Amino acid sequence: MSGKAFFMNRYRELGWQYKNVDLKQAIRINHANIKKPTELIQRLRDRGLALSKIAFLELGYWVDKAKFSVGSTSEYLLGLYSVQEAAAQIPATLLTELQGKKVLDACAAPGGKTTQLADLMFNTGVITALDSDERRLIALCNQLERCRVKNTIVYGLDARKVSELEESYDRVLLDIPCSGNFANDKEWFRRRTIKDVERNAALQREILAAAVKVLRGNGEIVYSTCSLEPEENELNIDWAIRKLRLRVEKIDCLGEEGLTDVFGKQLDSSVRNCRRFWPGETQGFFVCKLRKERSA
Amino acid sequence: MKSIRDFANLFGVDVDLNENLVVKRGNGYFLVTEDLKKAMAKGFFYVGSYLGKVKNGVFYPGFEFLRMLSQKDANCIVVDEKTEWLFICGRDIFKRGITGMKGSTKRGDYVLVLNKNGETLGYGRVTCDFDEVKKGVAVKNMLDLGDFLRREKRL
Repeated sequence: MSGKAFFMNRYRELGWQYKNVDLKQAIRINHANIKKPTELIQRLRDRGLALSKIAFLELGYWVDKAKFSVGSTSEYLLGLYSVQEAAAQIPATLLTELQGKKVLDACAAPGGKTTQLADLMFNTGVITALDSDERRLIALCNQLERCRVKNTIVYGLDARKVSELEESYDRVLLDIPCSGNFANDKEWFRRRTIKDVERNAALQREILAAAVKVLRGNGEIVYSTCSLEPEENELNIDWAIRKLRLRVEKIDCLGEEGLTDVFGKQLDSSVRNCRRFWPGETQGFFVCKLRKERSA
Repeated sequence: MKSIRDFANLFGVDVDLNENLVVKRGNGYFLVTEDLKKAMAKGFFYVGSYLGKVKNGVFYPGFEFLRMLSQKDANCIVVDEKTEWLFICGRDIFKRGITGMKGSTKRGDYVLVLNKNGETLGYGRVTCDFDEVKKGVAVKNMLDLGDFLRREKRL
């Protein structure tokens, strides 16, 4: 079970009509490194970049026009901004009161969201960043150095083994490995099958369960994927509500309500507090915020 | 630590790193906060600010360390915008691209390379006496920020 027609049919059943999208590049200002973001924007405009503010992000800008790679300017190399897709800039901002906290970024590489967390924390507290692939770890460390991050410890560790660190965390970011979506991978329909989706969904549940074990009682988890497939999104969250005794918090951000009727299966009504982004203005994305039930 | 101090001296400054907050992994050195030090477990891959690495007794700095030197009034040159771009592309610096200098900039000296905003782009070694040379390379590129892109290509 694979192919464009198969997945398009699934999306139609879920209430979305497939359309091809042309994603716009976006940047995020690292405001810990530049006191006046407006000065940076002017510097980039002087270099010939056409930028416009992203309405739903405090520090995000669309790259409307660029005569050169936005990932090669002095300002980029100085860590004054990062290149980060617009929807991908949302999850870290949903974690509250980050300054001075202990934060776990369980699937951290290549580091876009880790550097964003450090920026939101103004380099206070501690971020523990995990990834198990050495090449991706090197990419993550390069990002940390470029963005002048000072509050992060990186371990080469599978997120499922996080309890080996014998730590607990106030906040957990689970930008979890997923099947991706066609908007940022032209070969997606050719390469992906429903088996991949199911395999990823199972891995995601293992990571979510491991993360819950190290989450402090009043802590927050933000779970996100760039997958459109409900197995990796709403169905996993429904499972987490029942099996891990998590509750889904209301969040105020872009996106449609999470699906509560998935191919005829009725999910917990609080799953609608999740946010689903069908590809269009941004790539396909899914995000939600979870807490432990008080009695859990 | 001696190699790190010796490297700073090349730029005419001393560094006063709190040795209790400098940790080592392999040949790499990192500066950590008190919070990080308490939270660190064995087997970390990277932590805090990367200072640089020591290989065969020679210190190879990270960019945060160069920024620390620039805050200490290290020897430096300031370059114009075109030269800034060429420098981060790995090129050496011609005299005509230098718009300012501070501290000792004699032949053989090490200098930080700053842009017009005072931001550290890397460092180089002076290859001539600035008063005498009219054209050609004046500062040899030793390390520039473009290294981040070159590292990515190597991955």
